[in-house]
Amino acid sequence: MGQTALRITRTDKIMNSNNLIPGKHVVVTDFDGGEGILVDLNTKKYFQLNETAMVVWKGLEQGKNVGQIADDIVARYEVALDNATRSVERILDNFQNYKLLTAK
Amino acid sequence: MQTDATFSDDGAPGRYGPQRLSVELANICNLHCSYCFRSEENLYNSRAEFFPVELLRRVIGEARDVANVTKINFTGGEPTLHPDFAATLETVAGAGMTSSFVTNGWHFERVWPAIVANRHSISHVAFSLDGITRETHDRWRGNGSFDRLVRAFSRCYMSDLPFALKVTVRRDLMDQLEQIAMFAARLGAAALNFVHVMPTSTAVADESSLSLDEQRIVEEEVAILARIFKMSIGVDVGYYNIDEENAPCSPLAGTSMNVDYRGRLSLCCNLSGFRGADEEADVVADLNVEPFASAFAKLKELASLQLQNRKAALAALRAQGVKPDLFTGSPCLFCLQSFGKVPWRSAPEPELVSIRGRRQ
Repeated sequence: MGQTALRITRTDKIMNSNNLIPGKHVVVTDFDGGEGILVDLNTKKYFQLNETAMVVWKGLEQGKNVGQIADDIVARYEVALDNATRSVERILDNFQNYKLLTAK
Repeated sequence: MQTDATFSDDGAPGRYGPQRLSVELANICNLHCSYCFRSEENLYNSRAEFFPVELLRRVIGEARDVANVTKINFTGGEPTLHPDFAATLETVAGAGMTSSFVTNGWHFERVWPAIVANRHSISHVAFSLDGITRETHDRWRGNGSFDRLVRAFSRCYMSDLPFALKVTVRRDLMDQLEQIAMFAARLGAAALNFVHVMPTSTAVADESSLSLDEQRIVEEEVAILARIFKMSIGVDVGYYNIDEENAPCSPLAGTSMNVDYRGRLSLCCNLSGFRGADEEADVVADLNVEPFASAFAKLKELASLQLQNRKAALAALRAQGVKPDLFTGSPCLFCLQSFGKVPWRSAPEPELVSIRGRRQ
């Protein structure tokens, strides 16, 4: 049992992120203020997502690619596109590390 | 619908926690679980009825003053269907008492703001669980039930609101108790309460209820799990207890009582509105027209008499050297039997008529 904070690390797995969607084994809950919780039904672990990570997760649910999700973040927050893109990639990387995503 | 008796209480005989009252907030339910023991007529074929907030205010105030009740547990039907669920929580908080409720979780997101607003007075939430996967749970409760439940767990867990899981041990779940405990523990449940199937018909008894030997195996396994896991684990309903010295359950100990959705005081939430019941001898008073004090006096008398009857039944069997069957050994089933809730047990077998012999 336990809540896991998503670590910020980067690997080259991200290269394939455009083919990834949220796993069916993951249940997402929206909280007020834009944050959210994921439950991995395989590991029975909770993952607390901040607002940015929730934007990424929602983007993946809608089938968006890295660039489109980064555009969403730029539209919502005062952040440059290249920084937003790097953030999206880092978050996707973490989702992958925790096996929260599956191939389309 | 399931009940909630021992979330944080020591279930040892004679020690059943604080004085508490179960209140049925609604007669209806949005789900349709075949093993449910509430009257099908009330749940699905009657006009929806909800416990009036004004009556709730009066009843819990009097129960606090007369019977030292400090905890209110909302049941149903499905309590979150009450159109003014927030007001029911506020009423308990306003009376300086704590509330809890048993839910299938389907409407949890909708009532979440009311829960947050009254968080200080809510001790816990109990969720009914039928399986630890989407497939097994939703088979009994319909598509989408499991995901909604997991979202409800998430809200509780992240908000530090203790939650319990209530699992009815049908025959098909007998060999999954450890996996269920692991599921509950990993998702942060504070308690896991197993419940034996309350038999409402020959079909339910045959299909889902456990035999005495099967119940013993389950109860031994639950006792082992209770020693292994940190969370509270126990059997809440239907357990076998042939202790003749002490009251075998909280209602007979005078610790808990029930008010049905019509506002009537009765002995136990597990007997109330029982599916297929012939009689309602467990109902002592209509609180719409009677003060709690006199109703409570009648209830204590009934509980005392029932306890006496059960001790006498156990003593008689002991004298004959006969091991009590489930309908005597389990206090729940003893009350079902003695209060006329299981008429199907004594119903004559249907007459077999040969096709050839039928009159056209």
